Amino acid sequence: MKTIQTELLVIGGGATGTGVLRDLAMRGFDAILVEARDLAHGTTGRFHGLLHSGGRYAVKDPQAARECIEENQILRRIMPQCIEDTGGFFVLTPWDEPGYADSFRRGCHQAGIPVERLSLTQMLSEEPLLNPKITHCYRVPDAAADSFAAAHANVASAKAYGARVFPYHEVTQLLTNNSRVTGARCRDLIADQAVTIHADLVINASGAWAGKIAASAGIEIAMHPGKGSMLAVSHRVVNTVINRCKLPADGDILVPAHTVAVMGTTDQQVPDPDRFAIDPWEVELMLEEGEKILPGFKDLRILRAWAGVRPLYQETKTDQSRDITRSFVLLDHETRDDTPGMLTITSGKWTTYRKMAQATVDLACQKLGTQRECRTHLEELPMEAGIQQAGSDHHNLGQRLAEIESHHAQGQLICECELATHADVEQAILVGEAKTLDDIRRDIRLGMGPCQGGFCTLRAAGILHQYAKNRRGHSVEETNVALRDFLEERWKGVLPVLWGKQLQQERLNELMYLNVLNIDTLPGPKSSRLAAQPYADGGQKTEDGVQQTADRKPSKEKSRHPPSDVIIIGAGLSGLTAGWQAARRGLKTKVIAKGWGATHWASGCIDVLGYLPGETKTPVENPAAALFKLIVAHPQHPYALAGIETLAAALEELQALCQQAGYPLHGRLEKNWLLPTAIGAARPTCLAPETMIAGDLRTNAPMLLVGFDGHHDFYPHFAAENLQAQGFTARAIMLPIPAALNRQRIDTMVLARAFDDTEFRQQIIESIKPHLGNAQRIGFAAVLGLQDALRVARELESGLGRRIFEMPGLPPSVPGMRLQRILVQAIRQAGGSVHDGIEVVGMTDEGQQATGDSVLKTVISKSSSRLISHAADHFILATGGILGGGIQTDHTGYAQETIFNLSVDASTQRNEWLQRAFAHPDGHAIFNAGVHTGSNFRTERPNLFAIGGLLGGDFVRQLAVEGVALASANKSVAKILAENAI
Amino acid sequence: MSHQPVELTLNHCIKCNICVSACPVAAVNDLFPGPKYAGPQAGRFRKPGQSTPDYSVDYCSGCRVCNMACPNGVKIAEMNARARHTMVSQGKVPPIQRLRNNLIARTELLGNLAQPVAPLSNILLSNPLVRGLTEYMLGIAKDAYFPPFARQRFSRWWRGRKTSPLRPAPNGSWIGGEGKQVVFFHGCATEYYEPRVGRAAIHILEANGFEVIIPPQNCCGLPLLSNGEFEAARKYHQNNVNQLVEYARQGIPIIGTSTSCTLTLKEEAPELLDMYDADTHLVTESTYDFNEFLLNLLAADKLIIESLRPIPLRLAYHQPCQYRAHGLGSPAVEILHLIPELQIEESHADCCGIAGTYGYKKEKYATSMAVGQPLFDFVLEIEGPLAVCDSETCRWQITHGTRLPAIHPVELLAYAYGYETEGALADVLVKS
Repeated sequence: MKTIQTELLVIGGGATGTGVLRDLAMRGFDAILVEARDLAHGTTGRFHGLLHSGGRYAVKDPQAARECIEENQILRRIMPQCIEDTGGFFVLTPWDEPGYADSFRRGCHQAGIPVERLSLTQMLSEEPLLNPKITHCYRVPDAAADSFAAAHANVASAKAYGARVFPYHEVTQLLTNNSRVTGARCRDLIADQAVTIHADLVINASGAWAGKIAASAGIEIAMHPGKGSMLAVSHRVVNTVINRCKLPADGDILVPAHTVAVMGTTDQQVPDPDRFAIDPWEVELMLEEGEKILPGFKDLRILRAWAGVRPLYQETKTDQSRDITRSFVLLDHETRDDTPGMLTITSGKWTTYRKMAQATVDLACQKLGTQRECRTHLEELPMEAGIQQAGSDHHNLGQRLAEIESHHAQGQLICECELATHADVEQAILVGEAKTLDDIRRDIRLGMGPCQGGFCTLRAAGILHQYAKNRRGHSVEETNVALRDFLEERWKGVLPVLWGKQLQQERLNELMYLNVLNIDTLPGPKSSRLAAQPYADGGQKTEDGVQQTADRKPSKEKSRHPPSDVIIIGAGLSGLTAGWQAARRGLKTKVIAKGWGATHWASGCIDVLGYLPGETKTPVENPAAALFKLIVAHPQHPYALAGIETLAAALEELQALCQQAGYPLHGRLEKNWLLPTAIGAARPTCLAPETMIAGDLRTNAPMLLVGFDGHHDFYPHFAAENLQAQGFTARAIMLPIPAALNRQRIDTMVLARAFDDTEFRQQIIESIKPHLGNAQRIGFAAVLGLQDALRVARELESGLGRRIFEMPGLPPSVPGMRLQRILVQAIRQAGGSVHDGIEVVGMTDEGQQATGDSVLKTVISKSSSRLISHAADHFILATGGILGGGIQTDHTGYAQETIFNLSVDASTQRNEWLQRAFAHPDGHAIFNAGVHTGSNFRTERPNLFAIGGLLGGDFVRQLAVEGVALASANKSVAKILAENAI
Repeated sequence: MSHQPVELTLNHCIKCNICVSACPVAAVNDLFPGPKYAGPQAGRFRKPGQSTPDYSVDYCSGCRVCNMACPNGVKIAEMNARARHTMVSQGKVPPIQRLRNNLIARTELLGNLAQPVAPLSNILLSNPLVRGLTEYMLGIAKDAYFPPFARQRFSRWWRGRKTSPLRPAPNGSWIGGEGKQVVFFHGCATEYYEPRVGRAAIHILEANGFEVIIPPQNCCGLPLLSNGEFEAARKYHQNNVNQLVEYARQGIPIIGTSTSCTLTLKEEAPELLDMYDADTHLVTESTYDFNEFLLNLLAADKLIIESLRPIPLRLAYHQPCQYRAHGLGSPAVEILHLIPELQIEESHADCCGIAGTYGYKKEKYATSMAVGQPLFDFVLEIEGPLAVCDSETCRWQITHGTRLPAIHPVELLAYAYGYETEGALADVLVKS
């Protein structure tokens, strides 16, 4: 146990606490701040980021309005690096009381808020997406503030004046002596030890948690935590703060913050600041209200939802928490509770945090019997060295892009969405002392963009591991759990808004982490004590899902294409396999696809069955045997429909094709390989390319993993330590890229193309030779050439005298692309055609009198100026599931097949779609949704077949994606051939 | 058809890197960081009114291979074109480069100045000294290939044509042939460099009983659009709409042999310039690629395909990326398959690298050639006497990269229809 003595102890690392700390330090006090988590982890990090002009309170609370505009002007002066001067509009929509406009203007004048009426033309020229039905628009000096950066800047200033800051120190108990507060007992969550801090005076600045903290000293503070939920739109749909011109209410602010626009907020009293969930009604309400400000809002991609807890306080109970005054509360517990030694500062707004700090420290001076002047409004906050966020005006949109552009740092990006570089991550770890990936996120916005950590989680974990492993006692398990914590933390915030594109995104993330990388099997606990708290239960009930049908009217003028025997829609593995099987059997075959498919995302192996449904702990050893079990238990599984013989034949035929193409796939249905992934997890798969099989983990031949400087998708040391932790012998080296390659940007594609070159390979062989040691096999990321990988691997093998293997990782999947190329070429050689960039949007059909069936005549695609109709006798739909875009979902609980509106067996209750954990062993119900077919994969239309990811079942989690694709493709083509023969 | 606003499509990006794996420019050049970064990622950091942070996006060639590969319909190439326009309008393109861009992008101006003095201009354009000087002074790649100007421009030939007398029509148009009417949009290449392509097209149309109308027309504006010169491009496009809309109103199809011109009329210009007025829309809907038009006739059993002359050649065919962007599949291949004995080998190459004016720029020439290399290799491997390609600049690039002549598919078909063909094809057929 550690004991520390100080003059003042500040509890809480939010805006108020850090503001108080700075003020104390500037007035020459010895002060310590403790925060239970990371700085700004609480409400400060969870608000919409609005620097109020005061306009919002101009009518209802003139005092608050005056405070806001005064502080607004001070903060603009002292922390310009944390404020983006977006300006703000107050807009009167048809839903608002017209009379409010006049009171608003009067209120602004009285409070001293500069206000300017804008013409609607002017308003629309500045913000073209706003509702044209808006009748009044006023401009006020609102702005967007970066509360993370501000907290860091306050801390940096405080530190410069000698203050100390302890994050991840949770107060467990206030210390009292003769009913005087004398300090606090804390738990250091990182070192996992108790720390006692004695202080002359304690300042409780823990916001909504003030009541909980005070209670441990027997002091009662009646907090009324008011939950406010917010939505982030995936990009800046507005560049000005938009407020509704009306009395403050739910969902009436849209704030441009960094790269997103934040819609807020709701207001609901919750009993406990630690227990709040985002309710479905809140999401719906904000979509509805957003629509009033910005028509089309509901169809925008919502990135995330989060909730903050307003620290509202009133001595008497009240139900409507928004009516509680926002002016802050400063409690002197000596006079209030006869308990000297502590002050509590709470309530208030982010905008007025400095003023609150000033008042608090004024009172503290009085308590300590000294008089020192406040100077926090006079002195600019420092640019904190190192941390990018606070270091410059990154808060201004475009600044990050400008820096990346001017330094040609595109090759250094770790978080591509938010443009955070390798150096930024390093700085957050070294200077910002980030302990978790979530800490890095708060410093540099890692993982806050559209993919929500999809690509950067692995990369940041790899870098974190690199630095942490030098620390005594750090194990790879800790890095693994940091990675898991971050994936779950991101999931927590997307969960309330998962439909449409964001649901597709999360499915891609699931494919990457729980299929290709297979992180679930990595050693280490599932979550740590540093993990972000999930929003406590609240369910996600939606209104009854309304069945919608897509509006797809073919226009009159169409171009026509000559008829085919079979048209296949979709060019993933299932579509291409079907195309190849059809074309080589003499059918006039055309494959059309909107874009390329899942081959580019998956491992490039042919998984048949890696895990039985719900049994994610035990990998399948013998797929043939496990398939029998599966078919019995799940008679509607595509494998049951296709039959094992069809699957076996499909595998053999693909093997023969790949063999012929000089890219053999090895394996058999009776035995799964267990191959290492790019993170060092074991992955069961049935057929693997020759370039991968030497990695088989059923033997323990010593491995050497080779990475390349600047290749951000592969961290060989991290992978090797994971393999070691699972009992394998593995070492790692990082090689510099041979100068002859002359590339600044080293991504997977650049490496793969480089390996196509003999000279490059020779250089690599030479640079590996000195490191060979006892290694019997050498592993690379899956980058060993696009053209002739087998030759690449064999050349490396003969040059090094060791077996060579690739380990699949983040997309683009080079092994998957090889398969795609082989299949496309085979289709073309067999006389079929493959066209990308063709999106099918409709169809024509004809009723069959005899059977009453509706037979498909043509499918209609979009071209640059008109629709095109493609006629065929048979159609195979291979557009994928939610990930491939073959199934569409929306916020009402709608889930249907995208082109033909085929029904999908999904719940219309969106709250039933998903588990509360990203990596939940049972998988997510919505991803089991699929199109119903008969045993030949025929849909409700007699000449339309559905195959691959469109079918029901969670093949991503079962590690069965490719097997299902092949089996269903073969079976449907066989059926078509049989019908043609009649 | 309704169009989703370009910028809003960045919402659809799931960061999957398919476009990155497809981009032919990023594959060979570090200066272009790839479509995902330049389009949907950087797009989140751009806002109107700010000083543009962009530089690298100027290395996008605009080939649209990314759009074709994207499984989610993100309009990446259009975002890049708009970002470049912002760079141009904010003066971020150095003045000399901008002057150069304006020179090579104004094909019409160039043609009007240089074609009348063709023998001289051709000598100058192939003179190493002159080319060295223009590279040094203007940054026009000295090794890039400029095709020779024609001795007689297409429209002049048309008006003075001997075979069937023309009738003047309103708006300065001229009509020839008899039957159902079509408008022919010839584009700058046919007008100033390769009138033979236009003549071949007219022969096929007339052989199928069409009356061909050729109204006065401007450059489609694509070279200007791809150089970020939107305002100038708008003028051209507006003029073309004004000239063509009357025919569109009467339901007369507008047909072009240049696949990039027709793509511009159909989609590029309206979309990039936000021109969604009724007239522009009508022109959009009435514009057809030549082979698309023939394919529709074929589907309706109205294309004459009996007694086509055989062409006993095995030829490499490259479908330009701008043609693939029409979203039509490969209409030219389907039409060429009608010609007896003709063996067409499709390149399936991503891009020839030239991308209109891109490969003419000194700083981009090497990239352009590197992008085209797989195509050049393919064409040479086929060992045909010439190559076939629908877009003019791609043809010139193929010729530059392989030293083989390149022709438009319509020239083969015209020969099959009995037309006495001209140029490289004539030479080859005489020899064989």
